[in-house]
This record gives sequence, C-alpha cells and structure tokens, in this order.
Amino acid sequence: MPASPLIQNIELFLDDKPSVYALRQKAGSILKKIGFPAPKNEAWKYENLTALLNHNFQISTDEHICGHDCCGHSTPQTPFIEIKFCRGKLHIEEYNTPPGLTIMPLPLALYEGEHKQYIFNSFNLEQHPFAALNGMYLEQGLCIQVQKGTHINTPVHIKYNQNNCENLQLNIHNVIIAEKDAAIDIIEEFSSTTPESYFINIVNEIYLKSNAKVTHYKIQKENSQAYHIALNAVKAQNNSSYKQYYLANGAKFSRNENIINLEQPQAQAEIYSAYTAKKDCLTDITTDINHRQPQTFSNQYAKAVLEDNSTAVFQGKIHILPNAVKTSGNQLHKALYLNDNATLNCKPELEIYADDVKCSHGASCGEIDKEQLFYLTSRGIDKQTAIELLTSAHLNEIIALIPNGQIKELFTV
Amino acid sequence: MSEPLLEIKNLYASVGDKEIIKNLNLTINKGEVHAIMGPNGAGKSSLSYVLSGKDGYNVTSGSITFKGKDLLSQNTEERARNGLFLSMQYPTEIPGVVVSNFLKQSLNSVLKSRNEEELDTIAFMKLLKQKAATLNISPEMLKRFVNVGFSGGEKKRFETLQMALLKPDFCILDEIDSGLDIDALKTVSEGINSLRNEQNAFLVITHYQRLLEHIVPDVIHIFADGHIIKTGDKTLASELEKCGYADFIKEDTECQPLL
Repeated sequence: MPASPLIQNIELFLDDKPSVYALRQKAGSILKKIGFPAPKNEAWKYENLTALLNHNFQISTDEHICGHDCCGHSTPQTPFIEIKFCRGKLHIEEYNTPPGLTIMPLPLALYEGEHKQYIFNSFNLEQHPFAALNGMYLEQGLCIQVQKGTHINTPVHIKYNQNNCENLQLNIHNVIIAEKDAAIDIIEEFSSTTPESYFINIVNEIYLKSNAKVTHYKIQKENSQAYHIALNAVKAQNNSSYKQYYLANGAKFSRNENIINLEQPQAQAEIYSAYTAKKDCLTDITTDINHRQPQTFSNQYAKAVLEDNSTAVFQGKIHILPNAVKTSGNQLHKALYLNDNATLNCKPELEIYADDVKCSHGASCGEIDKEQLFYLTSRGIDKQTAIELLTSAHLNEIIALIPNGQIKELFTV
Repeated sequence: MSEPLLEIKNLYASVGDKEIIKNLNLTINKGEVHAIMGPNGAGKSSLSYVLSGKDGYNVTSGSITFKGKDLLSQNTEERARNGLFLSMQYPTEIPGVVVSNFLKQSLNSVLKSRNEEELDTIAFMKLLKQKAATLNISPEMLKRFVNVGFSGGEKKRFETLQMALLKPDFCILDEIDSGLDIDALKTVSEGINSLRNEQNAFLVITHYQRLLEHIVPDVIHIFADGHIIKTGDKTLASELEKCGYADFIKEDTECQPLL
C-alpha cells in the first residue's frame, strides 16, 4: 500500500456486504499496485501533490447516512429535483421523481446487484489512483437511472455542501445511466462558505445508451483551502450526446478530469468550461476523449481567468483510433491573465491513428485590455469592478452557450 | 461674475520620452463652451487623456484645478465621479459587457459618490429608456454589447446618452463629429445643447468649423505643438476655414487673425 495518511480506517469498510466489499478490495489492490501519481507521471506533471498526500484528511467514520435535520437547512422553492449531500453524506429523502426516473443511494443500488456492472466500468482504474482511493471507501453516492425513451424535463440538482468539513476526506461515487432514447439534465453544485480545509474526491460514471442525451452542469464554488478532485467518466453509445458545462470558481486545488469514450458511431461529446484560477490556487481541467468509432464528434472549449499567483492547467487529449474515420475533434482554450505572476500550462495532445478525420486545437492568452479598462473607469466605475466586469465578460461567452435559462442563472457569478 | 471650473497652469506632459503638452495655460468658467481646433498631431486628443488621467500620460510639471480641487491627485474613476466626462473619438468596444448593465454600474458609481440614492433595476431602466428615446436610441441597442457593432452615429449617440445620464459638470468632446453624417450630427448636437446650463462647461475638440455651427462656442483656441497659439471668439473658426492652420502656425500676417 502506498504511504499516505489519506489511506486509513480501511478495516471499517471491510465488513460490509460481500458485493461491495469485493469492489472496495479490487480498488485497494489496484491502488497498492499503482501508487499515487509521482511527479514524473505525465497526466499529473503540473501538480504538486505533496501537500495533499501528506495532509491527514480524516475518513469520517460516524453514521453513514445524513439525516434530515443534521444541517438545519430547509428546502427552498426550487424548479429542480433537489438532492443534497452535506459534509459528504447523502440526505435520504423521498424524491418527487417523474415516471421513468429512479434515484437511489448507491449502496441500495449495489445491494440489488444489477448495477454492479456499472462500477469501475467506464474508465481504467489502473490509470486513476484517486478514483481507486475513492473505490476503497465506496459508500456514499447516487445511482440515477432514466428508463428507455424517457425525457426528464425537470433537471436533477445535486447540491454538495462542504461547510464545517474541517480536515475531512469525502469520497463520493455516482452512477448515471441514460437508457436508449432517454434524456436528462444533471446539475452538480459544490459549495463551501466556511474556511476549513477538506478533500473531496468524486467519481461520476456516466453511461449513455443509443440516442441518449445527458447534459451535465457542474458549478464549483469552494473555499480557498479546499482540495477537489473529480473524475467524470463517460461511455457513449450510438448517436448519443454528452454535454458538459463547467464553471469553476475556487478551491485551493481543483482538478476536473473527463474521460470520454465515444464507443459507437455518431456518439458526440461537448465540454465547455469557464474557470477562474483564484489567487494562490490551482485549477486543472484534464480531458481525454477517445474516438473509437467512425463519425464521432467532440468539441472542447475552455475560457480561463488567472488571478494573482494562480496556476491553471488545461490538458486536452483527442485520441482517434484507427477505424474512427470521418470523425471530428476540436479544442480551443483562451486565457486571460490578471497578473504576471500567474502560470498557465496548456497542453493539447492529439493522437490520430485514422485517415480522413478533422481535428483542430488552439490556445490564446492575453491581459485585460487597457483601452477597455480605461473606458470603464472613465465612466466612474472603480478599477476592481471594471476588472470584474471584463473577466465575467470573458467567461460569459461560455455561459451564454447554456440552453436552459434557469440553469444559466445558477452559473451567473 | 464668472467662476472658474477648470484651470490649467503651466502644464507639461509626456508619453514615454515624447513631450506632448508644452506649457499649456487654459481657464474654463462655468457656463462656457470652449473649442480647441488644431492640425493632426498637435496634441489635442492627448490633452483629453491627460485631463481624464489615462495610464501612460504623465504630467511632468504644472497644475490642473477642477472644481477647486487638485485634479492630478485623482485617478480616472475619481475624476469621472467628480464630474469630468470624456467623450472619446473612438469609443472602445467591449464584447461581453451589456450596454444596460454597464450604464447602471456607471450611473450608480457616480450617484454613490455624490451621496445620492442609487437606482434599482426598475427605476434605472425607466430612466434609461426615457433618455434613450430622446436620442433616437432603440431599446434593442441597450441589450447589445458596449459599442460592439455600433455604427459611427450609434457610437456617438451612445456617448451622448452617457452624458445625459451622468450629468457631468465638464465634458470633453473629442471629435464628436467624426464618423457622423449630417442628420446624426444634428441629433448629437441637439442632445449636447440640451445639456448646456449655467453650471457646466464643455471643451469641444474638432478639426472642422461645421460642428461649431451646431455647438456654438464662446471661445475658440488654436492648438499646435502642445499648446495654445491663438485664442479668439467664434469668428476665429471661419478665419481658419479660409486660411488653414499653416498660416496661424507660421504666424503669417497676411491672413490677419482676429485679436
């Protein structure tokens, strides 16, 4: 087992039902084999993980299910189907779900057995040490399933509230399955307004059957001491469409990694990211798109704002396998520096093994336009507000792409 | 009894190593409209940037007093809040910033500094629509990004709209006639004339006499090589139109200027 205080209290997770136990054991043995990413690991070369790996983040061993009253917040009027995680624990509630939509706590889904096939099946566990760590503590999470032919018109809004998580390590594992011809919007919203340091490690395994549509919105507004590592692994079948809109604003260390497998012809994926690397923080977006079959399509467009002494990492891989002819993969990254002390590591990786494909990548970076800043301040707007107007204008280009008006409001900073 | 609004004394200013204002003296009183005319490259636009405190325009000596206070110790936004407005020759395009949002931020910043009550969205939109209508600005334009895709006329009408909202005490109009057709020139001039009163003043920078037929100045200055070489009343403009700048700069006596 690699040495890190992140691995602890494993015995408490070994006495569960055999099915879950086997999954945890598998994850544990893989982590033992591969270890945590070393500095020379290509996928993690821009991150210094020393602080995270040596931080004694505690696995919470108290009651596994969060009750209604634990956090004292009431449910306001919401146009969405709302699900809450508080301090990494799922609120078990009666969800008012429309026909064709099932929302279950993950352990319950695994107990029924048929969902076991969806765990660790959308990505290669051997290449993802933090997902393996997550797997060792498999417990908290959701299984969301949309039945064949069902279009869910009300978005599912998963709210993760990490207030008062001092020194905690939170592992959450979700499975989202959209059956043939199904469609759903999922919103993930991560927040913490109190200043404690914690580590949230989340894995989403998303399965799209033929003609399914999943639109995944992720809003991350966490405190400047938080560590956030997320893996979104997608398997997309024939003519299905996965779209992700990501707004990142906060966390000391945040990595949002997407593994997209376009498994069958005409599957498509679009990843739109608007992120701010906050002062003294690191924000990483790593995407790995595998075009496995002909006529698959992908598009990545990210816009970044880099504050003082921040680091932004954008790694975008487009991998086109030999028989994936007539595919198209595009990637574009635009960054705005607020200060000379910021660092941007932008690494496009195109691996193309097929002929007759269309691929593009581009990156640009610049400073705040001095003429625009002068125009705004000469109208009485203070410099700080003017800079905020110009940075949100930069990010707005991404937010403007969001088709749902109510969700767009959530993205407005 | 005229009361000075702006007093520039022995002003020298430079951009980098280049001296652009050389010993400029100018006093503008409340209620007055001054015009500055001069050839290209004389430093007219530079003067407008020095007055509004743009980065890179450094005053090396001299003083500017505005409403009795030292202007040079104030930054750009403080000058704007204290009532100085620069209508730019080429208003900057700002993609992603919506006109109405920009105007609301701007107006509320100014109101706040005057200790007046800030406007909420409803009150602001009502005021905005009313002011926009008098300048032939369509509600559609208020939803667009600041100056992006505006025609020459729209840009200048939009600058005038900002003046109407912010009610500055002193407006510098840097070639507000450039890019305007005759009808637009009329609309903009009428808009500006309606803002004139006993308490405010205007500095009109232009190449052409035509604008001064619409916005009639009390005083005309001829500006060359970073300072004023001649001052006169409104008839100076027609002299200029006849003789050109070269005669004035060479101080040619053949075409005897007034004063």
